[in-house]
Amino acid sequence: MSRLKDNKQLRNGIIFLTVILFVAAAAPLLATHDPFKLNEDILAAPGSKYLLGSDGLGRDVFSGIIYGARTSIMVGVIAAVISAVIGVVIGGIAGFFGGKTDLVISEIINIFLMLPSFFLILIVVALFGSNLFNMMIIIGLTTWTSNAKLMRAQALSLRERTFIKAQMTLGKSRGRILIEHIIPNGIFPIIANTTMNISQAILLESSLSFLGLGDPNLISWGQMVYQGKSYLVNGWWVSTFSGLAIVITVLAFYLIGDGLNNVLNPKLRAKK
Amino acid sequence: MKRFLLKRILSGVLIIFISLLICFVLIHAAPGNPVTILAGHDNPSPEMIESLTEKYGLDKPLPMQFVNYLGTLLKGDLGYSIVSDKPVVTLIAEKIFPTLLLALTGVILAVVIGTMLGIYAARKKGSRFDVAVNSISYVFDSTPGFWLGLMMILLFASTFKLFPTAGMVDLRAGYTGSAKVLDILHHLFLPLLTVTLIQIPRFFRIARSSVIQIMSEDFITTFRAAGMKESQIFRDYVFKNAILPTVTLFGISLAYVLGGIVIVEIVFAWPGMGRLLMDAIMKRDYPLLMGIYLTLSVSISVTMLLVDIVYAAIDPRIRYE
Repeated sequence: MSRLKDNKQLRNGIIFLTVILFVAAAAPLLATHDPFKLNEDILAAPGSKYLLGSDGLGRDVFSGIIYGARTSIMVGVIAAVISAVIGVVIGGIAGFFGGKTDLVISEIINIFLMLPSFFLILIVVALFGSNLFNMMIIIGLTTWTSNAKLMRAQALSLRERTFIKAQMTLGKSRGRILIEHIIPNGIFPIIANTTMNISQAILLESSLSFLGLGDPNLISWGQMVYQGKSYLVNGWWVSTFSGLAIVITVLAFYLIGDGLNNVLNPKLRAKK
Repeated sequence: MKRFLLKRILSGVLIIFISLLICFVLIHAAPGNPVTILAGHDNPSPEMIESLTEKYGLDKPLPMQFVNYLGTLLKGDLGYSIVSDKPVVTLIAEKIFPTLLLALTGVILAVVIGTMLGIYAARKKGSRFDVAVNSISYVFDSTPGFWLGLMMILLFASTFKLFPTAGMVDLRAGYTGSAKVLDILHHLFLPLLTVTLIQIPRFFRIARSSVIQIMSEDFITTFRAAGMKESQIFRDYVFKNAILPTVTLFGISLAYVLGGIVIVEIVFAWPGMGRLLMDAIMKRDYPLLMGIYLTLSVSISVTMLLVDIVYAAIDPRIRYE
């Protein structure tokens, strides 16, 4: 536990994340305006009325950023969890069952690794409709490979351990051993990786929104950057602040993921 | 080596085939089709829709369409763009050079700079330099490329007017010869800086951690104990071992950049495949979309193959039977 405390990245990441989660949860209390409302002041500079200015349609940027936190976190977490579940199941089966199953699954993982995933995501979201649901599903479906690789390695080493072998001898079904012992014992690296994947998913969602493929019914930071692009010269604040919100949130998850990895892998830990 | 190469090429072809299949199914399963866009919104005549559907072979069952596509593909024919009626090969050929120029130079610069920074930081582990570059690398890793690009435009193009905001050449100036090259470089600077800055952290981190890891190995301690010079240990033993993960990352990064560069191109109105791709998606231009996808998959597969070969060549421990 003291390792956790000493880990600067982890500590900073958790502080950042706590603030962001608080902002997302308390959005209605913190927002100064209705983020959808078109106010009369178009492109008002940051000031006391509009803390971070208003955009080209008169919407308050500050309130938009506050509400946007909800979208980003939701997309990031759900997409990363989908990716974790797929990865854990596929990787666990490959590593624990071994043999031909492992060969086939490993080959599939390799193929998926080589697919131009951003391109696929782009096509699916553009062609099947740009809504949040499609976005989360397709991001989850294209990013599970790293989790599968980690889980496979975990299962490979766990299945040689005595307590697993004992269960096998006792005649427990392999499916149950996988679910009850292999996965719970090997899950930690996947948790660290999933935190990193949340960052990636948030970046992906904002990229899609920036290309104009975001969900039009939601407030998202990527969309705000996209809308601010046309007013870059007269209203620099629209893109700048919403982009900054993306950076901070991604950074928070990233620091936590990397911190967890460092705790797991003492070789990489900086010596004091 | 020969068998290894053959096996890698075969799996490369398999990957291209599978990704084409996935792309084909996705594109055709999606709602909307190019014929309704071509025929127009106002009272399209049923006869016109029928003849257009027939012209592009869209009336045949899907598996037939895929087989037909593969057949013409093997003849080196990517078909014609449905929207502009030009050969897909021509459309892509016009745009591929700017994309490759931006992606390749960006990744190569990032490898060189990132690796140098990483090695230096690892050798001075815990120093102020190490801590500073490490923290900055996290920030750039969390920055979306499109936003960084916009900030570059805001800062260097709009405010200081040092660089042009968009495009690849100044069309009005009509430069030729070396003036044209200089003009392209001038336009290239900001997009290139964006791509490079986003990629540096990965190379920095992998170089740093692998140098640190190798330095802590027993054989290095032995060399030190035997009194070998620090510079020689580094040059002959640490560097060679530590550079291997960078080679792998180079391939992955290039693939990643080629796929994701669309956005940076759009931010800077860089005349590469980005715009072409977005248009093809919006207008449901099936052959063009497949063509771009194919170009991308082939480039990625070839890169991965090259990386494997380089890897085998520089790591004496790997000998493929």
